[in-house]
Amino acid sequence: MLRSGPWVILFLAIRGLRQYAFSTAVASLAIALAGGLFLGTWKIKEEAKNAFSRSSGGYDAVLGPRGSKLQLVLNGLFHLEASPGNLSWEQYEIIRDTRGVSEAYPIAVGDNYLGFRLVGTLAEMFEKHEWRKDRKYVVESGGRLFTDNAKEALVGAFVARKLGLKVGDNFHPYHGLTFKEEAKHKDLYVVVGILEATGTPGDKVIWIPIKGIQLMDGHNPKTATDVSAVLLNLKGAAGFMLDMKYNKQGNVATLAWPVAGTLASFFERLVWFQRVLEIIAYLVAFVAACVILAILRNAMNERRREIAILRSLGARRSTVTAVVLAQAGLITLLGVVGAAFAYLGIGFLAASVIREQTGVLLEPFTYDPSFFYVPIGMLAVGLLSGLLPSLQAYRSDVAKNLVQQS
Amino acid sequence: MLDEIMPFLEVSHLRKSFVSPDGGKSLVVDVESFSLTAGDLFGMRGESGSGKTTFLHLLAGILRPDEGSVIIDGTEVSELNEAARDHLRASAIGYVFQSFNLLQGFTCLENIMLAMSFAGKVDETRAKELLDRVGLSHRLAHYPRQLSIGQQQRVALARALANRPKLVLADEPTGNLDPGNARKALALLRELCSDAGSALLLVSHDENVIGGFEENLDWSDLNRAFAEAMND
Repeated sequence: MLRSGPWVILFLAIRGLRQYAFSTAVASLAIALAGGLFLGTWKIKEEAKNAFSRSSGGYDAVLGPRGSKLQLVLNGLFHLEASPGNLSWEQYEIIRDTRGVSEAYPIAVGDNYLGFRLVGTLAEMFEKHEWRKDRKYVVESGGRLFTDNAKEALVGAFVARKLGLKVGDNFHPYHGLTFKEEAKHKDLYVVVGILEATGTPGDKVIWIPIKGIQLMDGHNPKTATDVSAVLLNLKGAAGFMLDMKYNKQGNVATLAWPVAGTLASFFERLVWFQRVLEIIAYLVAFVAACVILAILRNAMNERRREIAILRSLGARRSTVTAVVLAQAGLITLLGVVGAAFAYLGIGFLAASVIREQTGVLLEPFTYDPSFFYVPIGMLAVGLLSGLLPSLQAYRSDVAKNLVQQS
Repeated sequence: MLDEIMPFLEVSHLRKSFVSPDGGKSLVVDVESFSLTAGDLFGMRGESGSGKTTFLHLLAGILRPDEGSVIIDGTEVSELNEAARDHLRASAIGYVFQSFNLLQGFTCLENIMLAMSFAGKVDETRAKELLDRVGLSHRLAHYPRQLSIGQQQRVALARALANRPKLVLADEPTGNLDPGNARKALALLRELCSDAGSALLLVSHDENVIGGFEENLDWSDLNRAFAEAMND
């Protein structure tokens, strides 16, 4: 209920906004959109960058055929894009046996099951490799790793959930990286294990023995020992040495090293997209500020008499000025709350789309300083847009407005 | 005894002019002397556009005079800063307007409590009592638009008395009312002021309204500016 002091200002401001409920809602919505976009573009980009770095599966480098490093990383670690070509088995053995190479696992791609990529590798990878520090792959109870010479499959957690695959299920792979019904292979695979989720692109893959891909019915026998890439972990100065050997002096293969550097260059290429979204967010914020200004100015024109009455009752100039500023603040505050919800929506959507498309697990709701600065900035813009109307309220001529209307 | 005859409101050499459309100065109020003692009920008759409202605005501290002084309860109003004048208006002066000037977005009760809030003493019980006193205890939560014209004016009267003012200024308070409601409102206003011990200065163009006051005078006798304009 109504009390004296600052409560009167709040009371009058809320009542004023209730009188202009629709315009208030529109302005708040515009602010929410702007805030959501600001947070979305900034935080999702940052989180995507971090999540992709986190999700590189614990590898330092990828060796593949001559070509783009980014394509190698995307294909070898994120299971995206087409394979740029093949390396011979000898190349794999050479790098495996090179000093400074602590881990080397060959992979082969080229088939899918209902759109999910089949990746051939060695069972050894699941036994030894840590996809994150101190975290090895775990097969869910009731399952086991595949045998390198058998037509057996280990299914990533995401694929198992999506396709409802379980241990003991059989399936025929399809040729190519995209699903085409007519491209069915004759080979029949049996699911022997489901991997626990890792939050990496590995969850979106059906793992089979590398020989399975190489010797799949219908594949070219001439390339039966080739590999698509080799996933590497290096120690000491091996990275520099191999970079020199493969990238600068050789012309047979390409070494994508370090993985984080290749990913960073990828995200740098996306800067323009972020800029465009930022510009849109600025424009929406500008429009929102204009809407607040328009609402309060129109309201001021209609409320000159109300202000004059309040003043005649003893309200101070500072009180009516503060009421208008409080209204701008309240509209913005509603917008900030809306922006939080908008960001929740954007975050969930972005995380699920990226998860669906790449298997990378985004964590868009972890703390970021922008969660603090963006609302503060929004409130500042909102109050700034209320400045002119509040000045009008301050300068409102009581006697004139009382007499003109009475 | 001395207190009883000491004027509560004292006006002397009060002049106020406005810039007219032709750029010249137009003197609107020129009052040599005027006073009211506490509890006086005073009627003043005057033509429309003769400067009565400006005079009331000067008394209430809404306008500042060009010259002269307005002393209310020993305080020189024109020497106060704006915030102090606002406080004086909120706590010591009740204002009744011809068009009631109720705040449309607020209920009857809120209209009265808002007036109280500016004086720093919100008292819901008293606000309800006042509305009861003017016969509107069943309309506490009604908005002005939901009331008849007569009822709206009664809310305005209750609001004017909300802070137990020592001076009530009424500017054509019956101007928008039919004769029946006008009589009732006038009687109520006088009654409320008498009960509260408030001095009342009521201005109206209506002879019948002013005729009901024992103490009354013609605005043209008081305001030399208007008299001179009429002579010109």
